[in-house]
Order: sequence, then structure tokens, then C-alpha cells
Amino acid sequence: MSALKRKRGGKGPGRNTKKVKLLENGTKPETTEMGQNKEITVPAPVSMGKWKNKERVLVFSSRGINFRTRHLMQDLRTMMPHTKADTKMDRKDKLFVINEVCEIKNCNKCIFFEAKKKQDLYMWVANVPHGPSAKFLVQNIHTLAELKMTGNCLKGSRPLLSFDPQFDKEPHYALLKELFIQIFSTPQYHPRSQPFVDHVFTFTITDNRIWFRNYQIIEEDASMVEIGPRFVLNLIKIFQGSFGGPTLYENPFFESPNMHRRLIRMSTASKLKEKQMIKDLQKLKKTDNKEEVSRDVTDDVFVTPADDKPVHVELEAPTVKVMKKNKHKVFKRQRNLLRL
Amino acid sequence: MIPFNNTMDIVESDDQLGETSEEDSELSDGQLQEAFAKGLLKPGLNFATEEKKKSVNNVEGLKQCLADFRKNTLPWVERLDLVNLPAEDIVAKSEGKLDNKASGNINPDDDFQREMFFYRQAQAAVLEAMPRLQKLKIATKRPDDYFAEMAKSDQQMQKIRKKLLMKQTIIEKSEKAKKLREQRKYGKKVQVEVIQKRQKDKKAMMSAVKKYQKGMSDKLDFLEGDQKTVKGGPPGKGAGKGAGGQTSDKRP
Repeated sequence: MSALKRKRGGKGPGRNTKKVKLLENGTKPETTEMGQNKEITVPAPVSMGKWKNKERVLVFSSRGINFRTRHLMQDLRTMMPHTKADTKMDRKDKLFVINEVCEIKNCNKCIFFEAKKKQDLYMWVANVPHGPSAKFLVQNIHTLAELKMTGNCLKGSRPLLSFDPQFDKEPHYALLKELFIQIFSTPQYHPRSQPFVDHVFTFTITDNRIWFRNYQIIEEDASMVEIGPRFVLNLIKIFQGSFGGPTLYENPFFESPNMHRRLIRMSTASKLKEKQMIKDLQKLKKTDNKEEVSRDVTDDVFVTPADDKPVHVELEAPTVKVMKKNKHKVFKRQRNLLRL
Repeated sequence: MIPFNNTMDIVESDDQLGETSEEDSELSDGQLQEAFAKGLLKPGLNFATEEKKKSVNNVEGLKQCLADFRKNTLPWVERLDLVNLPAEDIVAKSEGKLDNKASGNINPDDDFQREMFFYRQAQAAVLEAMPRLQKLKIATKRPDDYFAEMAKSDQQMQKIRKKLLMKQTIIEKSEKAKKLREQRKYGKKVQVEVIQKRQKDKKAMMSAVKKYQKGMSDKLDFLEGDQKTVKGGPPGKGAGKGAGGQTSDKRP
């Protein structure tokens, strides 16, 4: 299969007369063909020149990735025609096994997604046999499947790569830039690529992270629509070898997600602890106050010496007042009797 | 947007105090008071942070490595890379603000500003690349009759279109509802005014009638306004009736 492809790519402009004829007609090779044969044929992408830059990128992942990562990986494969796929790597395998996998797959670049704890996603970007390689934490992933991004482009068309000027200022960013260029730029005349340039990949450094965006070029006057995917790369380390070797650079601003989560947990715990302490203190204060009230020192201020009154003891019982009760009761009864 | 940039107050306060708290965990009260007076300490629990590890930055190694694996033999056509500042910000310019040229100046939490910055960078790249591509005779626009598989399927694009349409209709509907509400408000106002005016007229009329009844005035002018309408009414009605009669006559 690959040999066939190579042959087709290798066909120079002078060799195959039929193809040259089609190309000479201008940019409408299909229409002429359809006119001649009266049947619909899908021609292979037009490639006029020779495919020289044999860059191949292996895009694959470890086991345990979530759906979003899977989509992102698929998107990268659709955006980059010079990629190859492979089965997921076992989590137990050591990372340098990837070098062998790449060799088997005939790839000299690699993008490897490593999922950890089912929530953190790391991305390795490597130049395979000799290095260097870089490890990133991937955040804020948006895939092509999202409905917010309205652009579209040809599958396999070659992208422009736009870099922030900050990439040239520091040596580690310069290294990353070269790595990104070699990985993300589609080789010219790649058999699966399209001969148009209709989208831009932008890499921007903000907040010590690298932000990736993909825009469709609609007009020549640079009006654009975002296609996606988008993600943010937080650099962790750059290694000299591929998937190993001495560390060349370590990002001082990087905070591992585990650490970050731990800090958040600790701060919430300390807040709660503080609240509890304050509550306890208040309780203590309340009880203290109550005790003080029971034995008030200032109570004896109100104790005033007064003269004793002579005690008068009544020896005789008070006279009983005789009162006539129910003066009219007799009459009432009489009346009642009369009625009866 | 980024989940990892919200540091807690407590942590912050501790970062500033980091060194002192590490040297001896039991600081004397005097020291603590001093720190509090200076504003280094904040109320709340503080905990010790670990000292930051010294991160490796082997500049020579980086440069060497870059030189080793760089492929200088490849022409620009193969790479299509560009380094550029963002294009001019038309909006900011029109508002008289300074153009935001460096990526360090953006607030990463301000979604709109950030995305606009990326967009402008891409714009600048396109503007720079277009002449170069045309010089190399690379097509930047596919002809209308060139069909090929797209990155997003037609189904997906249909979905996107549907969503956009729905958004538009929702906006339109809400605007319509707003207008209707305003109209209703205005209508009610007019109605209230009319009713009030009628009541006022009636009151005036009644008072005039009372005055006449008591013999305070022997003018019947106040009836004229009413009579006019009455007079105007019956002829109109009559004409209408007549017209109706005529038509009814004509029919058979």
C-alpha cells in the first residue's frame, strides 16, 4: 500500500501524460473527466510536485482517556493528514516503548496523550529517535464536535502556523516552536493532503501557557472563523531524549494538578477549622459570663444599713365583719314559688 | 477559564511569610505582632508552604539540542511558519485606546479580550502569508467546483446552522415580546386617560345640570356640546341606514 502511494507521489510532472493533461486544463480536473467518461469519479487529491518531506506523526494515547481526549485525538488526526494511529498503550508499559512503536510505524514524530487518574491529561510531544521531547499538561479542551465553532476546512489541507513573538525570545520556547513546526506542518505534496491553504494554527503564549487555536481563512482580507479544536498546553518539562533523558528545562510556574487540588482542599479545611475554633471560643466566653453573674463582686454596693423596725405581734384575732349575703334571695324564691 | 489560577487568600498570605515560617515554626509573639503590623499576616489560619524547588533551565543544552534537530534544509513552503504580532485592533483604535501588542498584557480570564488577541494574531499571519503564498503559486482559495471531504461532516455543519438559526429566532422573539410589552404599556396609559377624561366631562355636565335645576342659570349652553354629537349622530346613522336600505333595495 505504502509503496503504491509512494509511486503515485513520485510521479513527476513529465512522466504521466494523462495526469499532466488534466492539470493543464487548470483547476477543474474533475469536470473534464466527468465530461469525458459520463460517470462520477472521485479523483485523488491533486499533487503536482514531488513529496519530499517524509514527516510522519504518530498520534495515540494511553489507556484510560476520557471521551473528550479521544475526540481531540481524532480531530488532530483529521486536521493533520500526515499522522498515523496506533492502538492505545497499556498503562503498565514504560514510556520508552513508544520509541519502538514509532519505529515500527515508520514515524519520526510523536504526539502521545497520557491520562492519569481519569481526570488529568498529559501530552507528550517528541522527535522520536533522538529527542528532544516535551511534556505538557493539557487544559481547557474544546473539540471539533462542539457547535460553537462554526468554521470548516478541507480535510487534509495544509495549515499556516502562526507563532507569538515570545517564542523567539526564550530558548525553551524556541525549541518548542521548532518541534511544533515539524509536527504540525503538513508536508507539501503529501498524497493525502489538499493543495490549498485554508486554515491557520495559532500558538500564543499567555499566562505561561501555550494556547492553540485553529481558524478558517474565509476571505483574502483575513476574515476568519474558528474551526477548532482548541486547547491550552501547560509546559512541565523538556527532555533531551525522546520520552526520557536528562531534563533540559523545567517550568517553574507549573503546579501539578494533584498539588493544586491538595491546596484547595487544605484551604477549605483550614477555613472550616477556623470557623470551628471561633465557635468554640464564643461558647467558652458565654459560659464564663454566666459564672460571673452568679457571684457578682459589685453586689454589695446595694447593701445599705437600715434601722430595724420594731416587731409587732398581733395577739388578738381581728374582729369579724358580719355581712348579710343575698339580700334579695328570699324574695326571689317566693316569686318562684308563686309562679309555680 | 483556567482552573488553576485561583489561589486562596490564605495561601497568598503564607507565600509572603514563607521564609520566616519555615525557619522556626514557633515564632515569638513579638515577631508575629510585628508581621501583623506590617500587614504581612492576615487573619485566619496560616500553614507552611514548601520551598519551591529550583527548576532546571539548561540554556546551553536547549540551544545545542535545537541546533541538532533543526532542519534548515527545508524551504519555507514545507513549513509555512510565521512569527508575528497581532494585527491592528480596529475596535481599540476607534475607541482611542492603546493597541495591545504584547501577549503578556492580556488578562487570561477575560475571554473576549483573549480570543480577540488570538484572532488578530491569526489575521496578521494570514495577511503576511497571502502574498508569499501567491508568489509561490499556492492556491489559497479552492474553486467552487472543487469538492473534497471536509474536516467537519455535512451533518455537523447542518447542526451548527440549525443552532445558529435557533439563536437568531430566539433573539428575534425576545425582541418582539419586548416591543409588545411596551406597546401594551402605552395602550393602557391611553385608556386610563380616556376614561378619566370621560368622567371629568360627565362631572362637569352633571354640575351644570344641577345648577340649571336650581335656577342659578337659565342657559342651556352646556347641552350644546352633547346636542352636537347627538345631532351629528342621528344624521350619520340615518345616512347609514339609508345607504343600507338602498343597498338592500338594490339587491333584489
